[in-house]
Amino acid sequence: MGNTNSDIIKKTNPAAKVLMYIFLGIWALINLFPIYFMFTFSLKSNEEIFGANIVGLPREWLWTNYTRALGTGNMLLYFFNSLLVTTLAIAISLFAAMMATYAITRISWKLNKLTNAFFMLGLTIPIQASIVPVYVVLSKLHWLNKYSTLIVPYSAFALSMSILICTGFMVEIPYALDEAARIDGCSLTGTFFRIILPLMKPAVSTVGVYSYLQCWNEFMFANVFISDSQHRTLPVGIKALSGAYTTDWGPIGAALCIATFPTLIFYLFLSGKIQESFIAGAVKG
Amino acid sequence: MKMKRIVSTLLAGVMAMSLVACAGSSAPADTGTATEQPAATEQPAAEPAAEPAAVENTDSSEPISLTMWCIATESDSNRHAYEAAIADMQAKYPNINFTWEAFENQSYKTKIKAAVSANEMPDIFFTWSCAFLGDFVDAGKVYCLDDAYQNWKSELPENMLGNTTYDGKHYGVPTTMNIVGLFANMELLEQVGYTEIPGTYDEFIACCDKLKAAGIIPFGCAGKETWCVTEYLESVIEKSAGADTLNDIFLGRATWDNQDVTDAVDTFQKLVTDGYFDPSGIGLTNDEVKNNFMAGKYAFYMNGTWNCADFAANEEFFPKVKVGEFPVINADKAKLGQLIGGPSDTLAVAASSPNAAAAADYAFELGKLICHYGYLDGCGLPAWTPYGDTSSVNALTQTVSEICSKADSFVLFGDTAMSADDANTYLSYVDQVYGCQVDGKAFTDGLAKDIR
Amino acid sequence: MNKKTADIQKGITIFLFLLPALLLFVSILIAPIAVSVYRSMYDWNGFSEGTFIGFNNYIELFTNGSIKFMVGLKNSLILAFFSVFVQLPFSLFLALLLGRRPKKERFFLSVFFMPVLISTVVIGQLWLKIYNPDYGLLNRFLDAVNLGSWKHVWVGEVKTALGAIIVPTIWQYIGYHMLLMYAGVKGVSTDLREAAMLDGASPWQVDRYIVIPIIKPIIRVSVIFAVTGSLKTYDLVRILTEGGPFQTTEVPSTLLENMLFLRNRYGMGSTISVMLILLCFAFALAITAIFRERD
Repeated sequence: MGNTNSDIIKKTNPAAKVLMYIFLGIWALINLFPIYFMFTFSLKSNEEIFGANIVGLPREWLWTNYTRALGTGNMLLYFFNSLLVTTLAIAISLFAAMMATYAITRISWKLNKLTNAFFMLGLTIPIQASIVPVYVVLSKLHWLNKYSTLIVPYSAFALSMSILICTGFMVEIPYALDEAARIDGCSLTGTFFRIILPLMKPAVSTVGVYSYLQCWNEFMFANVFISDSQHRTLPVGIKALSGAYTTDWGPIGAALCIATFPTLIFYLFLSGKIQESFIAGAVKG
Repeated sequence: MKMKRIVSTLLAGVMAMSLVACAGSSAPADTGTATEQPAATEQPAAEPAAEPAAVENTDSSEPISLTMWCIATESDSNRHAYEAAIADMQAKYPNINFTWEAFENQSYKTKIKAAVSANEMPDIFFTWSCAFLGDFVDAGKVYCLDDAYQNWKSELPENMLGNTTYDGKHYGVPTTMNIVGLFANMELLEQVGYTEIPGTYDEFIACCDKLKAAGIIPFGCAGKETWCVTEYLESVIEKSAGADTLNDIFLGRATWDNQDVTDAVDTFQKLVTDGYFDPSGIGLTNDEVKNNFMAGKYAFYMNGTWNCADFAANEEFFPKVKVGEFPVINADKAKLGQLIGGPSDTLAVAASSPNAAAAADYAFELGKLICHYGYLDGCGLPAWTPYGDTSSVNALTQTVSEICSKADSFVLFGDTAMSADDANTYLSYVDQVYGCQVDGKAFTDGLAKDIR
Repeated sequence: MNKKTADIQKGITIFLFLLPALLLFVSILIAPIAVSVYRSMYDWNGFSEGTFIGFNNYIELFTNGSIKFMVGLKNSLILAFFSVFVQLPFSLFLALLLGRRPKKERFFLSVFFMPVLISTVVIGQLWLKIYNPDYGLLNRFLDAVNLGSWKHVWVGEVKTALGAIIVPTIWQYIGYHMLLMYAGVKGVSTDLREAAMLDGASPWQVDRYIVIPIIKPIIRVSVIFAVTGSLKTYDLVRILTEGGPFQTTEVPSTLLENMLFLRNRYGMGSTISVMLILLCFAFALAITAIFRERD
């Protein structure tokens, strides 16, 4: 397999190859710039951020921004809360989505198109519109200020997208595999767990990344549903660093770095996994 | 006056004790249920009070729980005042289990409105006065403070409650108040030969012309945040048409259709078209404009006096800055001492609170302390009668304090005074005036038509 | 007889497979929509008693120009247009390029996705620094190349403000769609590619005639995300222009939030959200139909 991989590249003519790398390189620089910006931002004073020195290296490296970000509020706790809520929400929505997608795409029944369209409704709902109705229900159920207060809505909101992505992957799996399994006496449930699920590995990482994006930065629900700082998540915690009348942006930058860098590192690790899973689970057409 | 309070607390205590005595038989049952339901033990102290017996707990021996939401986040200039006040209160009332949470300003508006909708308000909550609180009061969600106010009358002048009084009843405890100040960078003014902020409008305009000729931008104003434009516009209208006219319009007692106001808006627009404002301002946020001002880009910056603390904290900038009052434009209608501002930051008590009466007393005393410490920190002016040594207050705040003591009348910020819907219509027109999309006539005509 | 029990069994299986998703979906997403539809018929401020006014909110939404709904809709459709016809082709191009396994493929893949992972607050601040009229990078650059006359107050002028929102929005999410498509490209079996190459196809021909048709379902997903995402766009508008100048860059979500939580017109806010849901859903169905027709 290793040989064939680079065949395509080898066949390209050298001039085009150089052009391609130059292009990729430039685009990479453009996309790395925000990280540099965020990092230097987090070490500056308001004076430098607003005008004196917007993109250069900090003149004075204000590491105190980090101690202030960590010391005020409780960023480490918020980080842990975010991590817990996001992870569980992804797990729940992924599992529910896989099951639903299986029922929609691989079992033939009358209403599967309609069901699919029904789940697509989820993509259309503006989160602001759901705040008050969901809040009223949660309040009636005495279900506020808990981790699950956020986990359940988050997994519900990630569901539609997960189903859509899973569908894209699942229809790629040859239907002959199901038939073979059925002939071997496998039940529908058995086929799902033994045949389909293992082949959905590439989807897991992709869906994971996209659900993560939805949950990790979610602010509106977290702001309204959680009123005690024990269960506060990062976006709300970071927002609380800005004051009503005056705002010191340096510590906000520092908090954003604290929120983002672990993500980046985790993503780098995961992107390797995504690739491996493609190689391991690649379906031969 | 202290005596009076102690007496009333004692009285309330006796009343509460007799109530507790009556409800005594049910008390053991309470503790029983509380231990059976582990979920409910998070705040065990709240349990007995939530019982239908509804004991009004002003008693100092019965522990109760109170929660408060506010916007004094860790980086807010009011944070220290809140922390100090709460520490005092907790030391004084160890039996009251007080917890509080701070939220960011903008998102707090969403949060508190959702909480009112769902009846999930905390016992005490921060709110803005006039229309913001008024909507909650109309819906019957706010506890009336008339009874509790009786104990504090001597320390909190009744005229400070105007913005939180609805149908003659008081619903809010004001903490600090703020006015619009004309901040000047004296270093720049000296370059064109002024050592004081010009006192009359003609001198003021002459000064602006000189500044412009010297290549200095007179005014900095954040066009992206319309409330910053109103800080200028409302002062111009007030100093042209008079405080009463403006106040009547804001409170819906008069229509916008007023020639004096139309002229005043044109006067303001002339300041824009004459190039006194930074042309870039239309694309800037207040944070950016404020930093420009501190960096010496503008000669004047009209904004809330809450900025005093920030300016005073900047050692390099503080010696250069002075604060004053916007000069009178039309002496027939307006005079010095007519200011924009007033008490807006307010604490209120939820009607749904199981300990509303206790919360009301607590809110008053807490409000008084927040006001006290906030004034010392320079975060704003006191709505309560100041006490103790106030000589450590920074010079800027003291100047503002002097201006206020000579004040003739206060007109609250338009976007706070008007109902939420009207305020936004108003702001969108202000936006258009600043961008020279409409003139004074179109402004007043449009508002007269669009505001219900 | 056997068939019937089999059918019932199948029905139960289908139901059980759908159950977790349905439970979550109906309780958290569908029920609030129903509440919104109900509330959209009321003149209600969110806390006190409301009055039933039928479809008056809907009528006002389209007839009262000061609500700016049509402006918001137009802006988000312009964004959707650029998203589908500029952003997605570019994302596809990147995905195909990376699909050819250049050196450092993993590095490029990770880096191109990074803007998506960074908080919009940071992206917004960065672009404010680019657009700042006085010290912003863009105006400084124009000065440096002697094009001072092209300088603008980018986020403050009617002519440029919408463009100033569209550029960063599109840029930030290029990586988002790229990763989605890349996953599809990687799913194409290497045997197929090899066979085509042996037949003498150029890399572009392989992409055009083998890869793109296979990843069409994923492209469809991307188009749906791009369009519904554009209709619901919110964050960068709030940070960059706040809907200004003169509300020319409002989008439905900012209007919705203003109505719900700023203007205390909960009924009208619900109306906007119902309209937004209907529009997004109609677009999603239309896109699906277009893709099916093309097959």
